[in-house]
Amino acid sequence: MASITDCVVEGLKYPFNDIKKLLGLGVLFAIINLLSMFFAMNTFDMYRVVIHVLENTTVPLSSLNMSIIPSANIYTAVGITIVGLIVGLFILGYQYNILSFSIDRKDDLPGFGDVVDIFVKGIKYFIVSVAYNLPAMIVMAAAMMFLDNLTVMSVLMVVSFVLLVIGYFLLVMALNNMVAHDSVGKAFDFREIIDNISNLGWGKYIGTILFTVIVFMIINVAVGLVLSLLAVAFAAVIINQAFAVSIFIGVIEALFVSSYCAVFFNRVCGSIYRESIK
Amino acid sequence: MILDIYKDSLEYSAKDWKTLVKLGVICLFSFLLLPAFLITGYNYRVINNAVHGVINGRDPLPGFDDLVSMFVDGIKFVVVQIAYLLVPVIIFAVFSLIALQTTGVAASAIMIIGCILTFVAFIVCELMINMGLCHMAYNDGAFSKAFAITEIKEVIDEIGWFECIATFIGLVIITCVISFVVSAIIGIIFSAFGFSGAMLGIDPTGIFLLGAIINSAITLFIVGPYLSIFNSRSIGLLYTMQI
Repeated sequence: MASITDCVVEGLKYPFNDIKKLLGLGVLFAIINLLSMFFAMNTFDMYRVVIHVLENTTVPLSSLNMSIIPSANIYTAVGITIVGLIVGLFILGYQYNILSFSIDRKDDLPGFGDVVDIFVKGIKYFIVSVAYNLPAMIVMAAAMMFLDNLTVMSVLMVVSFVLLVIGYFLLVMALNNMVAHDSVGKAFDFREIIDNISNLGWGKYIGTILFTVIVFMIINVAVGLVLSLLAVAFAAVIINQAFAVSIFIGVIEALFVSSYCAVFFNRVCGSIYRESIK
Repeated sequence: MILDIYKDSLEYSAKDWKTLVKLGVICLFSFLLLPAFLITGYNYRVINNAVHGVINGRDPLPGFDDLVSMFVDGIKFVVVQIAYLLVPVIIFAVFSLIALQTTGVAASAIMIIGCILTFVAFIVCELMINMGLCHMAYNDGAFSKAFAITEIKEVIDEIGWFECIATFIGLVIITCVISFVVSAIIGIIFSAFGFSGAMLGIDPTGIFLLGAIINSAITLFIVGPYLSIFNSRSIGLLYTMQI
């Protein structure tokens, strides 16, 4: 049985097997980044409108209606959200394929050939992820109801956090189980999921995921540091073009870092499943 | 026994100056955060070689191949250290919280006790960290072995607590002495140049500046890597001293 380190090392090397496909995934991430920046720009416009209205009237903020926000902006916002969701589902579908390649021990990266298939898989991935985070979200929403009662709210917050963590650890194995059997129902087959995890050993399972998350965070922090240094350097040289610089940096990060990290993480998750069914 | 360890480690670290310079270059770029883990990963490899090697044997210095696994090993190294160092931090935090609640003499008494306990815990944790890393390396890098406290305690029992602590104190002293002596020698040479230049009526600022630059360069590229390999090797050899 391969050790934790071997899994992680293998996962870190895997994305280099096919740089072109990695960049293909990177383009998707870049689209999402650009969309979110565009969205942020529009939101600033809306804030500007709201503040303008507040300055000219004496009514409090809570009494303002949604109707004062220009409708064109609302339409753009909704449009951006929908496009972003579609691209996001596409990315999730690609991650599904990475999991399945990892479980089958294939060394190349999945292609982008069957668009519809990737999209459908993305929807499956999305539904399962949402379902496992649902309990935590419900408790969080309940906590928001007790904004005036601090004790109840903090207790509920802690419960929500615990649920989130438990849900996340189960989610990894559930996704693997779904991908391995190619059926959404298997993602909620708790007996098999728990069996698989106990087969690997809970300590090793949690340890592997924690270690992978740590590696993931270290890569992200380090690259973020380098990129922000670059951004500051660019912004200092090119005056009055901060937005262009941030778009440039965002695209670079999406192309190389986000895609690499996503592929790496899913690869390791797949090898966890491969170890557990031995 | 302890002297043998030091002798072997001092010779081992001086085997290849190219390795030292390479480590120095990595160290220069460690503000980018990722190379910092390469350095700890290299130290882990040195420990790994020492644990599986023989004292006074002909172990080669580990190479720089397979950077990815070196990086992951480095992360493991750091995670183990942080996990152990949490213990003294928590002890200190608890005592300072209690001290904040009380006033007067009681507060200072609690704080002093807390500081002493933290110090003791820190020493024990350092010992456990180093032996834990060796134990992990010995068991092919299994993470759980770094925290198998009873096994590590048995290892230390077999080596002898006194020997372990003496070796560590010796390491600290040797490290300090070497780095101090090297920088002092360079400093003395350049101040001699500078002062003689000043007596001849030349502005000595440039010479002093050059001395400072050469001093830090030698510390970074030669002495620092040398000492880190020396420390890791000594700890690894200490682990093999169990009967």
